Amino acid sequence: MIDFTLSKAQQAARDYAHQVALEEMRPISLECDRTEEIPESFFWNMQRRYWGGAAAQARAYGQDEGVRQENLLSVISQEEMAWGDAALATAIPGPGLAAPPILSQGTPEQQARFLSIYMDGQLHWGALALTEPGIGSDVAGMSTTAVLDGDEWVINGHKHYITNGARADLIVTFATIDKRLGREGIRPFVVPKGTPGLIVGRIEKKMGLRASQTAELIFDNCRIPKENLLAGRGEKKAGFKAAMGTLDATRPMVGSLAVGIARAAYEAACEWLREELPAGYPPQKRRAWEEELKELGQEIEMARFLVWRAAWMADRRIPNSKEASMSKAYAGALVMKATATAVRITAPGEESERKLLIQKWFRDAKVFDIFEGTAQIQRLVIARRLFPTIDIP
Amino acid sequence: MLDFAPTEEQEEIRKLAQSIALDHLRPHARKAEAERDSSTELRLTLAQTGLTTPFPEEYGGSGPLEAVTYTLIAEELAYGDPGLALNIIGSLMGPLTVWLAGSREQQERYLPPFGDPTSGYLQRGSLAFAERSGSYTLADVHLQARRTGEGYLLNGTKRDVVHGQRADLRVVLARLAESESAEGQLCAFVLHGVQEGLSIQDEEEKLGLQAAPSATYHFHQAQLPAEALLGEAGSSGAVRAATLYQILRAAIACGTARAAFEYCSAYARERIAFGRPIVSYQGIAFIIAEMAMKLDAARLLTWRAACSWDRGEADETLIYEAESAQHQAVKMAQAATTDAIQVMGGAGFMQDHPAEMWMRDAAAME
Repeated sequence: MIDFTLSKAQQAARDYAHQVALEEMRPISLECDRTEEIPESFFWNMQRRYWGGAAAQARAYGQDEGVRQENLLSVISQEEMAWGDAALATAIPGPGLAAPPILSQGTPEQQARFLSIYMDGQLHWGALALTEPGIGSDVAGMSTTAVLDGDEWVINGHKHYITNGARADLIVTFATIDKRLGREGIRPFVVPKGTPGLIVGRIEKKMGLRASQTAELIFDNCRIPKENLLAGRGEKKAGFKAAMGTLDATRPMVGSLAVGIARAAYEAACEWLREELPAGYPPQKRRAWEEELKELGQEIEMARFLVWRAAWMADRRIPNSKEASMSKAYAGALVMKATATAVRITAPGEESERKLLIQKWFRDAKVFDIFEGTAQIQRLVIARRLFPTIDIP
Repeated sequence: MLDFAPTEEQEEIRKLAQSIALDHLRPHARKAEAERDSSTELRLTLAQTGLTTPFPEEYGGSGPLEAVTYTLIAEELAYGDPGLALNIIGSLMGPLTVWLAGSREQQERYLPPFGDPTSGYLQRGSLAFAERSGSYTLADVHLQARRTGEGYLLNGTKRDVVHGQRADLRVVLARLAESESAEGQLCAFVLHGVQEGLSIQDEEEKLGLQAAPSATYHFHQAQLPAEALLGEAGSSGAVRAATLYQILRAAIACGTARAAFEYCSAYARERIAFGRPIVSYQGIAFIIAEMAMKLDAARLLTWRAACSWDRGEADETLIYEAESAQHQAVKMAQAATTDAIQVMGGAGFMQDHPAEMWMRDAAAME
């Protein structure tokens, strides 16, 4: 039955994440952005809170409700965290982007072996290495190679723009086992931190999400055990599917981060208009801004619903490529509009923490139109799903 | 708990509405546009499905309306033809407002003719909402009602009243003000036995939605009897009726956009240019992808408002959600229908195809 109300577990997840955003993220947001560093205490606080009462309560409600809702719970809480600080949200300890391919393509033994690392109460991260200097969305053109040598895979190549790449304990790395096979030759491998031949290159300087670590990784005859290939169920396109399946799960999450930033900017602009608009400002201009913000508020709701729907489909195991791309494309454009509007509306104001945050969100926003597939790639995915019999190059 | 799937029962009703839309609405759209009304046969067909009598069985209806279910129906009807969908829903809003806002006595008086198994389909209802600005937002409802010794005195103008000229049951939204200056509470009145002070003018030349005939009402010191007020002043029945109309209008906009989206998609798949179907070019494919995305967004906003309506949320929430849905859906439909013509090129401009009609229909929605 169509329903837009949150269940107890969903409300608890939202409330927990909002509290985290308010207490752990907002207070250090500007400083982390400035220094491009995150204090160790933040990681430990997040770890403590994850195993603490509020999060446990949310998980318990989730168990009670007896339906799969991990994707929905995740997008609901991600929106709140991004409302706090999207860069910090990407740095929370845990398997992160490494989890979806391990879950979808790993055997039960592999899932247990790799994911148990994250359960010991210490600080661990995961990463996903897909992008290369020469390829972004066109994963079929990948040049990182994996060659089987005895009981080991030997990986050679160059990956970049890897979130948490330098601190990740496990890096799910996509490489081709045979370039002639195109995308059918692509396989996911789990590369542990500290493997000889795995070299961390430079850490990028970015326009926004500056506190989020974006690393370059070089694989120079990097040898990993044969058992670290996530072989799926032996399907021919397993590796490519893993890459794409990962995107179907992560695009709504990226969408939810975008919604969170958009909402933060929208709320800050509304507050500024209420509290700080200089006296004597032309009333017709104020009304025009109020109209603009009203429109923005409605668009934020639509973006959120697109995200929720895509996540709900993922939970129900309904194929959701098209809907995942819609949520990401819509939210990515919206966060740009929302943050730009907030910058413009608050322009006449004195410098304040609120204004600095708005400026930070404006810088953070742009990448949401780019990573996990650019706005153009999302439209291509939508169009190909709408017209499955037509070749849209 | 969040859920985005209609129930099986809703899915069946939606399919029924879709088959009616494709078999009986779409083929007669141009004729209805020219004749500025639906045919008697169509109304009989619809009445037999029970889709047009969503009020309690005791008055001859097919069961009380649920907003989510009817939102699905309205989208399908508009997918058939937006003008005819508005013709049907505009009529329905008359008895529905009586059901939502009226006293038991008023329901017993006004609803049975609509539920009559042999002649109910000939009845027309109407709900006067919009005023000079043409907008369907409650902040723009100003028609003034003042209490007098015998009843109420109405002053002001209503326009775009679907079936206003020939309705058997005319309901108007007004503001009941205690003093001349105050903006009063939203109320619904039945125009019954109005002797003078009301002039009704046919709106003959409209840009779109011609299949839904509409009229303008001018009230000048029009005297209404005391029993004309539906229910009690200040109860939320009038707000529920008004927001329901807004939600269904949003659904009509979604149906219009879907018609345009599917029509131009089929065209772009068939039409060859430079040796390839035009949809294989990103310049065309992206326009259509964008349409699909924004249609889904507006539909979700509409469903959310409908869910809140069914749950009986507070007036303030309902008004915000229904008006948001209507605003966004109409805006989306205007863009989608315009883009559909662009996708089709010159053919879209011709009356051989319905796209140009849908663009005019969408433009006439607000």
